[in-house]
Amino acid sequence: MPLQLINTNVEILAPVGSYESLQAAINAGANSIYFGVEQLNMRTRSSRSFEISDIKKVVSICKVNGLKAYLTLNTVMYEHDMQLLKSILKEAKNEGIHAVIAADFSVIEYCSQLGIPLHISTQANVSNIESVKFFSRYADVVVLARELTLQQIDSISKEIKRQQIKGPAGALIKIELFVHGALCMAISGKCYLSLHTQNASANRGACVQNCRRQYIVKDIEHEQELLIDNEYIMSPKDLCTIDILDQLIASGVDVLKIEGRSKGAEYVQIVTTCYREALASIRNGTYSADKIINWKLAMSKVYNRGFWEGYFLGRRLGEWTNNSGSAALEKKVYVGKGSKYYSKIGIGEFEIESGSIKMGDMLMITGPACGMVKERMSKLRVNGIETNVAVKGDKISFPFATKVTANNKLYKIVNSNNE
Amino acid sequence: MSKILHYRSKCIGCGFCIEQQPAYWCMSKKDGKATLINSVGKNGLFILSIPVIQVQQSKNIAAACPVRIIKVQ
Repeated sequence: MPLQLINTNVEILAPVGSYESLQAAINAGANSIYFGVEQLNMRTRSSRSFEISDIKKVVSICKVNGLKAYLTLNTVMYEHDMQLLKSILKEAKNEGIHAVIAADFSVIEYCSQLGIPLHISTQANVSNIESVKFFSRYADVVVLARELTLQQIDSISKEIKRQQIKGPAGALIKIELFVHGALCMAISGKCYLSLHTQNASANRGACVQNCRRQYIVKDIEHEQELLIDNEYIMSPKDLCTIDILDQLIASGVDVLKIEGRSKGAEYVQIVTTCYREALASIRNGTYSADKIINWKLAMSKVYNRGFWEGYFLGRRLGEWTNNSGSAALEKKVYVGKGSKYYSKIGIGEFEIESGSIKMGDMLMITGPACGMVKERMSKLRVNGIETNVAVKGDKISFPFATKVTANNKLYKIVNSNNE
Repeated sequence: MSKILHYRSKCIGCGFCIEQQPAYWCMSKKDGKATLINSVGKNGLFILSIPVIQVQQSKNIAAACPVRIIKVQ
């Protein structure tokens, strides 16, 4: 792609479901993050670590580190949610949130009244220019439906420029797109399977992920079971666009959104880093097949269900995974937690609560201050004495750059097939 | 005597318990979560003693709670 056609202001938007993930997003060089509080967001069941009182801290950390903070309020809203919604928006406004991501018109209306910048969620299923034009009265950014093709995205993007469709801030509407992470088997998340089977509405963030299970297909009349190659008949592989990222950017996408608020800090850090590097490579003309192989390998080591490029290249049916959970090449095994930090000499102490570690093991430490750090165990001290192995109950210490508290978790990285 | 236990902080405000057992549950307008009427609460756990005749209905509601935060003991 000619360099002059590249939008150099493309933003990388990382998912944040915990303070560990927030620091991981900062470490990885994200331009912005999105997070949810209380029960009015689409990860209510799987990621509930933030409350209203956390808005201040999250926004403050983002501002200090030069990131934008977006708050998701994108569930279906009922009458009884209005007071909580207003309380959340009031706090968000007071703390200077950069934008709210919404689909329900009550949120759109309240944000408009309060003067809070608005982004239209993918839950609104925006798939054409007239919808973009409609939402431009309220929002500056529109997250397009994940089921569009590159040509459709390109057409919407060109029409925004041709028709000069601008948002309340006075700038042309920006297009945001999910570029990586889990996909829903239903269009734009509008799924009723979870409500039908477990009384748990996916549209209230309580999805129990029925689609991720194995199923058989049986003809009741003749009691014949259909032979199918893959019993995970509804579980889509994860979206991964790192090998078509140049085409996505050429189609006019302004914000690259990564899914995964309920995933770990290591996922956020590695995936965000890969997309930031890929974007930099596209900008400086060094985007290559070799680099793509390496990025995909790096991302395949953290949580994933196998990758495909989604619907962007015109595929009408999804590609289904053949795994019950993650297909990650590596997995993290919990070993212990932080216990003390000697700040003058920069030594962290961790208590082993499960299993053991030995010299040469690859360790991963997560925490609110460090995000995610990986390092190979090169010097192991147990209770102050150098040794080769540490077991449950031991306290180990090693040099560590950031403060260690009980919120730091210590993991051992092992290959997934080495059970 | 049996008890309903409600781990309230994880409530997503679906309103199912209120529809099914309105004498015991109401929706808080303040935070959009279900409230167990007349219960005694401590550290986010709310407890209410119930008569035997209400146990089965309460168990049905506990089983239907989408986030499994209602228990009957």
